[in-house]
Amino acid sequence: MNDPTNVKLRLSNSELWGGLIGLGLGGFVIWSGLKLKLGTINDPGSGYVLFYTGILMCVFAGSIIVSAITEGGPTLASRWENVRWSKPLLVIVCLIAFSFALEPLGFLLSSIPLMLLLLRLIDPVRWTLAIPIAVLAPSGMWWVLKRLLLIQLPSGLFGIG
Amino acid sequence: MDTLANVAHGFGVALTGINLLYCFIGVFIGTLVGVLPGIGPISAMSLLLPVTLSGTPESGIIMMAGIYYGSMYGGSTTSILVNIPGEAASVVTCIDGHQMAKQGRAGPALGISAFGSFIAGTFALVALMLVAPKLASIAIAFGPAEYFSLMVLGLVVLTFLTQGSMPKALLMACIGVVLGLIGLDSITAQPRLTFGRMELIDGIGLVPVVMGLFGVAEVLLNTEQAIKRDIINAKITQLLPNKEDWQASAGPVARGTLLGFLLGILPGGGAVVASFASYALEKRLSKSPERFGHGAIEGVAGPESANNAAAGGAFIPLMTLGIPPNVVMALLLGAFVIHGLQPGPLLITQNPGLFWGIVASMYIGNVMLLILNLPMIGMWVQLLKLPYNILFPLIILFTILGVYCSSNNVFDVYVMIAFGIIGYFMRKLGYEPAPLVLAFVLGPMLENNLRKSLILSQGDLWTFVQRPISAACLTLALVLLIAPLLPALRKKRELVALDEGA
Repeated sequence: MNDPTNVKLRLSNSELWGGLIGLGLGGFVIWSGLKLKLGTINDPGSGYVLFYTGILMCVFAGSIIVSAITEGGPTLASRWENVRWSKPLLVIVCLIAFSFALEPLGFLLSSIPLMLLLLRLIDPVRWTLAIPIAVLAPSGMWWVLKRLLLIQLPSGLFGIG
Repeated sequence: MDTLANVAHGFGVALTGINLLYCFIGVFIGTLVGVLPGIGPISAMSLLLPVTLSGTPESGIIMMAGIYYGSMYGGSTTSILVNIPGEAASVVTCIDGHQMAKQGRAGPALGISAFGSFIAGTFALVALMLVAPKLASIAIAFGPAEYFSLMVLGLVVLTFLTQGSMPKALLMACIGVVLGLIGLDSITAQPRLTFGRMELIDGIGLVPVVMGLFGVAEVLLNTEQAIKRDIINAKITQLLPNKEDWQASAGPVARGTLLGFLLGILPGGGAVVASFASYALEKRLSKSPERFGHGAIEGVAGPESANNAAAGGAFIPLMTLGIPPNVVMALLLGAFVIHGLQPGPLLITQNPGLFWGIVASMYIGNVMLLILNLPMIGMWVQLLKLPYNILFPLIILFTILGVYCSSNNVFDVYVMIAFGIIGYFMRKLGYEPAPLVLAFVLGPMLENNLRKSLILSQGDLWTFVQRPISAACLTLALVLLIAPLLPALRKKRELVALDEGA
C-alpha cells in the first residue's frame, strides 16, 4: 500500500525542499525590497514591486510546502531513478571546471579539453573521431570569429587565441 | 487598397537578396530543429539571438520568425517517422501520424501535414495582415493600467497552461519578475540586487538566461536517457494525399486553422495548446472516434494546421501591443529590443517597412517550407540518424560562443552555465522554465506600468477596475487563478497543461 517513493513530512520529500527554497528566496526578496525603500502608493519606490513580489513568492512557496506535507511528494532519489544520473553530473562538473578555466587559460585551451571530455563522457565517441572534433570545432569557430567577424575571444594568461 | 499597397511594400523589403537569404536560413534551421528531437524552437532561437546583431533589424527578425514557424513544419516529420515529437507542438501528431507510417502511409501523413500547415500558415498571415493594423489603432488608446493588466493576464494564462502544479508555475513567474528587475531602477536609477557587481548594473541579459534554461538544461536532461529511435526505414512514396484523404482532412484543416489562430492570439496560448485542442475537437466531432489513435488522418491534419495557424496568430499581440503572448514571442521581443525597436501600436505606422516586410517574408517562408518539407523529405530522414553524442557537445560549444559573442563578456558565460544547472534541477523538481522567462521579459514593463498607473491615479487602485479593458483582463486572470481550486476545472487544466519548454 505504502509507496516508498512518495513521502510526507520527511527530509527526502523533494516537494518540501522545492517549497523551502522558494520560501527562502521569497524572504530574501522581501528583505531586499524593504532595504530599497517601498515609497508610498502615490509614488512607489524602487523596492515596491520587489516587496510585493516577495510576499507572493512566500504565499506560493507556502502552498507548495503545505501540499508537500499533506499530500506527500516524490523522494529526491526517485527523481533520479531509472535514469543515467551520472551523465548530467559529469557534464555539470565539466562546465564548472570550464568556467574556472576560461579566463586564465583562454577560449582555445579551455574549450578543447571541454569538448574532448564531453565527447568521451556522454556516450563515448571513439578516440579517432573525438580528438579531431574536439580540436577542429573550437579552432574552426575561433578562426571564423577572430579572422572573419573580428570578435576577440578570451586569450588567457598565455595569450593563446 | 491601403493594405494591398502595404503588402506590395512589404514584398519589396522581403524580396531583397539579403532578406531572402535570412528567411531561407530561418526556415531551414526551423525545419532542422523541428526534425531533431531534444532541440526545440526556443533553444534554437536563443542560440541564434546574437546572430541577429550582425544584420539589419528586418533580416534578424525575419530569420527568427522563420525558425519559429519552420519548426512547426519540421516537428511533424519526426513525430510521424520516429514517434518522437521534434518539438512540443507536434506531440499530438505522434498518436495517429506514426500509426499511419506503420501502416505504410507515411507519405500521405507527411503530405497532409505539410499542406495543412501551408494552408493554415497562409490563412494566419492574411488574418494577421487584416487584424493587426486595426488592433494597433485601438491599442494607441491603451494606458499603463491596461498594459499592466494585460501582462498580468498573459502571465496567469501561461502559468495556467504550464505542466505541473500552478503554485510552482506562479512561483517561477515571480522569480522571473525579480530577475527582470535586477539592475538600475528605470525611474530612480537606484541599483537593485546587484551585490556590488558592475556586470549586473545593466541587469541580467536575456540571451544567457534563455540559453542556460533551454539550451544547456535541455542537453543535461537529454544526456540522462539513451535516446532510442524507431525510424520507419521503408522508402517514402506518394506524398500527395489522395481524394479520400483530402475529403477526410478538409474539415479538420479548416477547423484547426480557425481554432489555432484564435488560440494563438490569446496571451499565454500558442501552438502547443492549439494542437491539443484541435485533436480533442476532431475526436469529439468524428463519427468514428475509435479510429483516432490507430492512424486517422484527421488526427494529423487538424493539429498540424492548428499549430501553424497559432504560430502566425501569436505575432498579433507582440506586433500590436508589444506584449509577447508566449516564450517564443518573448525571444522575438528580445530581438526587437537588441535593435533598439519597441513593438507596439506605433510599430506599424513608424516602421511600416519592418512590419510589412516581416509579414511578406512569412508568405515567402511558407512557400520555401513546402518545398523543403515535401521534395526534400529524404534529406531530413537522413538527419534523424545524426548521433547525439556528437551533437550535444557541439550545442554546448555553440551556446558558449553565442552567449560570449552577444555581449563580449565572460560574465555572461558564467550566468548561462549557472542558469543551465539551475534549469536542470528546476525541471527535475517539476518547475517549468517558461513562466520564468516570460516574466523575466515582462517584469520591467510590468513594474513600469504599475508604477506609472499608481503615480497617474495618485495611488488610487480603483484605476485598474474602472477601466473596462483592464477590469476584464484582471477578472479573467482571477478566474484562472481560482479555477484549479475547483475539481472539475482542475481536471480540465490537467488535460490541456503543456510542456512549453520542449
